Amino acid sequence: MTSKTSGVDAITEEQLVARLRARDEAAMTIFYDKYGTALYGVIARIVKKEEVAEDVLQESLVKIWHSFLSYDTSKGRLFTWVLNICRNLAIDKIRSRQYRVGTRTQPLEDSAAQWQAAPSSFKPEHIGLEEVTRQLNPEQKQIIDLLYFGGYTQSEVAEELELPLGTVKTRARAAIKVLAKLIR
Amino acid sequence: MDIQQYIESGMLEQYVLGTLTVREQQEVEQLANEFPAVQAEISRIQQDLDAYAAAHAATPPAGMRERVLAGWQQAVRASEGNTQPAAPRMVASEPAPSVAPEAVVRSIDSAPSSGRKFGWLVAAAVALLTLSALGNYLLYNRLKETETNLQVAHTEQTRYAATEQAALKERDERTRQLEILRSEQFRAVDLKGTPKAPDALARVYYNAATRAVYVDVRHLPALPKGKQYQLWAMDKGQPVDAGVLTAAATAGDTLQQMKDIASAQAFALTVENEGGSPTPTLSTLTVIGNI
Repeated sequence: MTSKTSGVDAITEEQLVARLRARDEAAMTIFYDKYGTALYGVIARIVKKEEVAEDVLQESLVKIWHSFLSYDTSKGRLFTWVLNICRNLAIDKIRSRQYRVGTRTQPLEDSAAQWQAAPSSFKPEHIGLEEVTRQLNPEQKQIIDLLYFGGYTQSEVAEELELPLGTVKTRARAAIKVLAKLIR
Repeated sequence: MDIQQYIESGMLEQYVLGTLTVREQQEVEQLANEFPAVQAEISRIQQDLDAYAAAHAATPPAGMRERVLAGWQQAVRASEGNTQPAAPRMVASEPAPSVAPEAVVRSIDSAPSSGRKFGWLVAAAVALLTLSALGNYLLYNRLKETETNLQVAHTEQTRYAATEQAALKERDERTRQLEILRSEQFRAVDLKGTPKAPDALARVYYNAATRAVYVDVRHLPALPKGKQYQLWAMDKGQPVDAGVLTAAATAGDTLQQMKDIASAQAFALTVENEGGSPTPTLSTLTVIGNI
């Protein structure tokens, strides 16, 4: 697993993981500068409210810190792991607050979902949202967004979009294939 | 199992998207351990989705970095030593082997946590006490109000009882009078107004056997102050005093029993000084009637 370094932080992922494991509080600041805007963007995409997104990001940092010892490097990169924590907390938040009642049938692009892509210190594959949106066809993007940002299961997506479950699976896989092409 | 087919089934995407059940996740993880191709595919999908997520990076509100980091530090300090939250589901496995030995859960922190619990108890006790005091005050007020109401009800009841008693007494009196009126032993004698008082009218009930005499006024002229009507029985031309009329009888409110009369052929009413007179004042003769 290769580690990526950004221009701002000349620190490898392995070094960062080691310092976080050693309960080095200063490492958390480095962690934030490296991943903060990306995590914030994903959370904001899910909860759709700036102040809620900030709260969830903070909760996520606390959770990451407390459960860091259970991070297993062999299972994936640090970003993948923390992203899941953030996603799960954000999805818990919208479920607990019953955001879904009002927002379920709205397109995901509504309201605060129109995020301006920001210069991120962490751009592992150097792709922009515009490019992604251009390459993915609308059906694929919708499915990925529902699954990834909406916290829906595939069967829920199938129900929501009135599609056979098999179609949802195919489209999700196809969409991720498109993403792969953009990256490599 | 055809691994290529499994890879293309969409299961691994679901795994990375985190939409599988715990059991399905374990299945995928087992296969990933067994087949490097599965593990490699999972890594690829993760990378793709990471990139997709990273593409959504957004400009945070001003000052968020400082707020979030300060909030994180505060939360970490506050919960230091508390039970650590469960790991996220994607990596729900045993901790990495490289766990630092000094990082084991510290147990000395039961004090602050129990202190906090005690604080909660105190707060709860104070809240309950306040509630109780408020409740007592309200109940006391209600009690006072109830006592007042009860007193009013008592007074009212006494008044009603008195009224009822009076009513019963009056009813008994009326019943007695009715018996007289209906009795065949009594003879009704109409006393008609003299030219001085043509409208005046009264009636006497006379029982010759028992000598009982009752007077029943229909209408008599109003009396001057200090005067009373007096009933006379005329026996063989001689007036016999039968007593004076009460105010109630004069007004016609009730039958009045008069003095017993042994024998009479006529009755008459005259106006006399209060208390009555031994002899009738003939000039004030108001009504008269023969048996």
